[in-house]
Amino acid sequence: MNKLTYFPGCSAHGTSEEFDHTLKLVMKTLDVQMEEIPDWNCCGATSAHVMTENLALALPMRNLVLAEKLENKTMGIACASCYSRMKVTKKHLDEHPDLAHKINTTIIDEGEYKGDIDVKSMLQYCFEEIGPEVIKSKVTKPLTGLKVACYYGCLLTRPKDVTHFDSPEYPMSMDILMEALGAKAMEFDFKTECCGASFSISNTDVVESLSGKILEVAKESGAHMIVVACPLCQSNLDMRQPDIERHTGQKFALPVMYFTQLMALAFGFPEKELKLPKHIVPVQEALSHIGEIEPTPEKVKKTKKAVEAESEVE
Amino acid sequence: MITLGLQDQNTFLEAVNKKSGANVLECYQCGKCVSTCPVSGYMDFPPREIMQMIKLGLKEETMMANSMWFCLTCSACSGRCPREIDIPAVMEAIRHLAIEENYRSDNKKVKEIRKFHDIFLDMVKRYGRNYELRMMAEFNIRTRNLFKDMHLAPKALLKGKITIGHESTKSAKAIQKMYKLAGKLEKGEK
Repeated sequence: MNKLTYFPGCSAHGTSEEFDHTLKLVMKTLDVQMEEIPDWNCCGATSAHVMTENLALALPMRNLVLAEKLENKTMGIACASCYSRMKVTKKHLDEHPDLAHKINTTIIDEGEYKGDIDVKSMLQYCFEEIGPEVIKSKVTKPLTGLKVACYYGCLLTRPKDVTHFDSPEYPMSMDILMEALGAKAMEFDFKTECCGASFSISNTDVVESLSGKILEVAKESGAHMIVVACPLCQSNLDMRQPDIERHTGQKFALPVMYFTQLMALAFGFPEKELKLPKHIVPVQEALSHIGEIEPTPEKVKKTKKAVEAESEVE
Repeated sequence: MITLGLQDQNTFLEAVNKKSGANVLECYQCGKCVSTCPVSGYMDFPPREIMQMIKLGLKEETMMANSMWFCLTCSACSGRCPREIDIPAVMEAIRHLAIEENYRSDNKKVKEIRKFHDIFLDMVKRYGRNYELRMMAEFNIRTRNLFKDMHLAPKALLKGKITIGHESTKSAKAIQKMYKLAGKLEKGEK
């Protein structure tokens, strides 16, 4: 039994409830015990760092202090934005011990910051700590026939000196996990393009334009759906998709699922556990491809780019 | 006065470098950031020009630009910059300088973006956490655009995509105290 300190983030109890729910299911199957940080607070993403300096560090720091009290080696974060803020803060605090001490002693009441917890995104945790082999061993209902475009967004792998995870240009970890589930990960050039995340409410034109391009390229890849690991990416690509279709005249009909939903499905959990009715773009049609037999499933040739990126991951 | 390259005479450049931890002088104007940036098309001065403006000490023009408000901190530019300059940190530094020194752009989008961030931070101050529906509603009220995104609401609510209720952290009070202390600390540093 592995133990993991868990930071869900604000959207886990709202827009990304299906992520939180399926994450808990699959972690149980994988024998990981998740301990949620008691009384965690919003990390401030994405506004605190835009507007302030000290508060931008203090909000994530309070969570780090609370997390360290649970005495697990690693803290796993569901939301990519929270993950990024937590990692950036941790790096900054660890590089500037004087600043860390100042904020710790003047702003935070919850105790001493030690800086001894490892922060990982849940995708990173699944890939590095559990590994595709173990995940493959838990599959009871392979997703054969399902074609997916894995979309990482900007914050899971960038900046490289903050995340230290996968390739910032052409990551493969989620692709490898999806192949472990039996699905086919398609070549997809917009894996790490930004969806416009933090402008979701204040600047919808930008979100529609950026997310529109991602949908377009994902559609061209031949994928039945987009797989994500970030609640902001999910809601931008899913909830805004009908508007993007209306404004561009294109028809995408591309459902956007969390990687944990597909893991849960492949691990044999019933469909109702995936909370599919929460999706704005219907999922059923895409899932009906599961079980279709590919003409030459083994001889899928990866391009040079994919092979290079894969070796970089290793 | 234009003082290109003379760091000791360009106090603006000095301030940006100090705040961001980057060295803007290292930029050799290749423009890779501009072609990489997903929002450079929306900026009045794309990142390359901002870098040059800082080098030239054009403080007023830089402070009133919309560029730093449009930056998404996606770090695509810094990942590809051949000089490995942390451009998002530079954008953040000039944004913070603009706030501290009270530069306010009349650009409608900049005003809306700033308003959104204010609402977001207010929400976290009140509850310790954030609630999407409330935030959307408040944004619409405070930008006097009541019907923005309203067509999405029924479906999103019906499907449970957005929830009405919300929870607070037990220590919302502790967060409020943090805001106060962080504000004090910032004032003390000025």
